[in-house]
Amino acid sequence: MKKVLILLLMSLFFCGFHLNAQKYITKEGHIEIFSKNPLFTIEALNKKVASILDFGNGDIVATTLVRSFKFHEALVEDHFNENYMESEKFPKASFKGKITNIKDVDLKKDGDYKITIKGTLTMHGETNPVDATGTIIIKDGKVTGKTQFNVSLAAYKIRVEESYKKSINDEIRLSVTFDYAPMTN
Amino acid sequence: MNNNLYNINMKDLLIIRLILIFSLTSGLAKAQDDLLNSLDKDISEDVHYVGYTFKSTHIINGHSVENMKKNQLDFRINHRFGELNSGLFDLYGLDNALINFSLDYGLTNRLMIGVRRGTYEKTYDGSLKYLILRQCTGKRNFPVTVSYFTDLSANTMLYSAPLQRRLSFVHQLLIARKFNEKLSMQLSPSFVHRNSIQATDVNDVYALGFGGRYKFVRRVAFTWEYFYCSHTSKSDTYYNPIALGVDIETGGHVFQLFITNSRPMVEKGMIAETTGDITHNGIYLGFNISRVFALGKNKENVKE
Repeated sequence: MKKVLILLLMSLFFCGFHLNAQKYITKEGHIEIFSKNPLFTIEALNKKVASILDFGNGDIVATTLVRSFKFHEALVEDHFNENYMESEKFPKASFKGKITNIKDVDLKKDGDYKITIKGTLTMHGETNPVDATGTIIIKDGKVTGKTQFNVSLAAYKIRVEESYKKSINDEIRLSVTFDYAPMTN
Repeated sequence: MNNNLYNINMKDLLIIRLILIFSLTSGLAKAQDDLLNSLDKDISEDVHYVGYTFKSTHIINGHSVENMKKNQLDFRINHRFGELNSGLFDLYGLDNALINFSLDYGLTNRLMIGVRRGTYEKTYDGSLKYLILRQCTGKRNFPVTVSYFTDLSANTMLYSAPLQRRLSFVHQLLIARKFNEKLSMQLSPSFVHRNSIQATDVNDVYALGFGGRYKFVRRVAFTWEYFYCSHTSKSDTYYNPIALGVDIETGGHVFQLFITNSRPMVEKGMIAETTGDITHNGIYLGFNISRVFALGKNKENVKE
């Protein structure tokens, strides 16, 4: 029993190491939010999303400041931050999860690989599961991750007043594009 | 014959399984959290410029530090009604209204130009407001937003006087701080010069304005404003303008409802010619409405 326990502990200890060669990072990932109805179109772009993708185990994390979402109109951006996202109270939005079929992606072979992502998204103080499909594009040694999924405002306790419900849909589409580079440290 | 080489019984097996599951899953979660935390310094803003210290270009009577952004147009209609104690017949002053129409346009993100016409002395005026310094946090810290406001007005009453005699000039330095999403406050040192005045009056008036807003629910804020003026202590005609009210902010409109003792809306009149004595029926209802139009797209934020 003691031998087994020692073997077990040693194997767990080695499991803790991650090969950095497999980790990719971006500090300027793009996320676009979009929602349209006859009364109003919500459109914003965030060019400062940071993300790490670990090809070793499929871990993927991403984080950004809510204030980094930029709108065409300054007034809409101010309302987004002050009334809806309450960025002063909840400055960050983050995602952590796994690409479940990471083994299907061959880093050495150019191509478009379909992937499935499972994880949780935390914003406005609420955490909800996310299930999405996406693509990893390998080209000339560059790695690009793309995915699109919808989030529900109500699920994140983002309050829309009754009088605005006709102008603001509950479902908002997030479009993610991350251009990764190998992590060097 | 003991075929259990390591003397593991069912209980030990269970313990081993639990240790494996627990450490693998917690190890995974910890790994993801570590990765996430390592990114924190990469997403922090270089400099965050504090915006929307006030929700419109006016606190109540006086200008706030806020400008229209480039290509934004603010259409304003300001009302000052009659004496609040006029009674129901005069609709508590509503029947006796002074009105001011104005258009303010953002030439650049920092420079705003305005034109206005008001009932008081049938005044036409033009103004400029320039955003000098912005409050910011992050890599660079500055505690306040500072703007400069100037106004040139001419009354067009029917008495014989050359244009020069009808002119008044106002200069203000507006200094405001947004303490948090709920509270903003502003100081407005001001200077008014009137080319022609009553015999017992003074051409130059200096004043210090104190104003602020406090948001108590979403989209609604209390507002207050008071100007301490240099000439009022020597005069029994003029009083320091004071106002208290509520701002209601909707999509593109800001509605300002308040009571004040000052009926002229043009700055030279508001600061130097307020005749409302709050102890003697000098309280009037006021209503400002502001509608902002975006005349052009903000090209900086165009999608790629």
